[in-house]
Amino acid sequence: MFPLVVLAVTLAQGSGPPLTVSAAISLTEALEEAATAYRAAGGTAVVFNFGGSNTLARQIVNGAPADVFISADEAQMEVVEKAELVVPGTRAAVVTNRLVLVADSRSPVKAVTDLGGPGVRRIAIGDPAAVPAGVYARQYLEAIGQWTRLEPKIVPVANVRAALTAVQNGSADAAFVYATDARIAPRLQVVATISGSQAPRIVYPGCAVKTTRRSAEAAKFLQFLRSAPARAIFERHGFIAPPDAR
Amino acid sequence: MDLARITWFTLAAAMAATAVMIPPGLFLAWLLARHRFRGRVLLDTFVSLPLVMPPVATGLILLMLFAPRGPIGGVLARLGVDVVFTWKAVVLAMAVMGLPLFVRTARAGFEQVDRRYESVAATLGAAPLRVFFTISLPLAAPAVIAATVLGFARALGEFGATIMIAGSIPGSTRTLAVAIYSFAETGRDREAAALLLVSAAIAFGALWLSTRLTSRNGMRG
Repeated sequence: MFPLVVLAVTLAQGSGPPLTVSAAISLTEALEEAATAYRAAGGTAVVFNFGGSNTLARQIVNGAPADVFISADEAQMEVVEKAELVVPGTRAAVVTNRLVLVADSRSPVKAVTDLGGPGVRRIAIGDPAAVPAGVYARQYLEAIGQWTRLEPKIVPVANVRAALTAVQNGSADAAFVYATDARIAPRLQVVATISGSQAPRIVYPGCAVKTTRRSAEAAKFLQFLRSAPARAIFERHGFIAPPDAR
Repeated sequence: MDLARITWFTLAAAMAATAVMIPPGLFLAWLLARHRFRGRVLLDTFVSLPLVMPPVATGLILLMLFAPRGPIGGVLARLGVDVVFTWKAVVLAMAVMGLPLFVRTARAGFEQVDRRYESVAATLGAAPLRVFFTISLPLAAPAVIAATVLGFARALGEFGATIMIAGSIPGSTRTLAVAIYSFAETGRDREAAALLLVSAAIAFGALWLSTRLTSRNGMRG
């Protein structure tokens, strides 16, 4: 699917051009709210480019003019780091999240172990080759020894929200998404919340991008995202503050 | 390896899509070329929509119609037919996107057929269907062949609608265009580059063929 480019164009009122933030699509609602709060607190205007973190990382590596990058996993942050595009000292965890298995409320799927059953034909996950939510899902299924068995049923999609949509419109029987995504799909049931020692550690790192001409502004916005008011917004959307910010 | 499989699947799906678009395409082209009726312009516009609309929008409409919760998909699901995320969705997207090109090109051919031949056949007692198959179609054949090649070429390159309704499932719905996108997105640049070469070669062949066909028959454009 096309990278979902959501441009919340807010005209900058005297505080220079808006800050461009490329962020994992799962952060959409929470970050938009945080940006409004940032603005209200006197911060600069922010426009967002939401998409799968792998898409965003590729865009940045190819020269896309983002000021801030927030990835849904360390691997995609590493892609930007390897291209030497992370402003030193700005890389830090913004939030953490959990993986859940969702299915339609009428679905026979009641546990992860039901996925192997004949009633389940398709399981949507982010492309496990790079989309963070898909990579996490694959890591988990591998950890519980189910990946090989379920792989034929896997439908790789462009980002985590596309996986959610696939279950919503009935194209897939179940999907691994973040707990925060499941909250915006009340018609679906959360079959399982992945926890315990086999659960992947889901951390969203953020950084200022080196090509920015506004690294001070970028760092300031990142700092705000780790402040108490922003944390309250994230928590309201189901995210969990990273240990070092608590 | 993947490359051959993706190429073969794309060619096969585009051929199937072309076969699917020919019957309604011929009917629509003939109807629009030969008949004046209420709503003709409306039908003409409707058929051409996928040519102008963003392919993703067309794909979204198809997805809403054919998803198991959609009006058509719901009926098909009860009959046990699965469309979304299967090869059928690939063919559907390709056919819908190729149809306008087919209709426009074939229609121009039908318009160039001298009406008198058709009238003579009709006065000699030939039924409309017979007139179509023995007079109109053979005389419009060069344009219809060009239309087929163009429709096929469009189907080959289809991306936007395909990714919406068929997704990018390795070994099942991943076409050349979709695979190039997926490989580029996931950082597999070498595979993407290889597929790029293949798709450039196929596109070159299809275009060359269609140009030859159209120029030989004195058609402009």
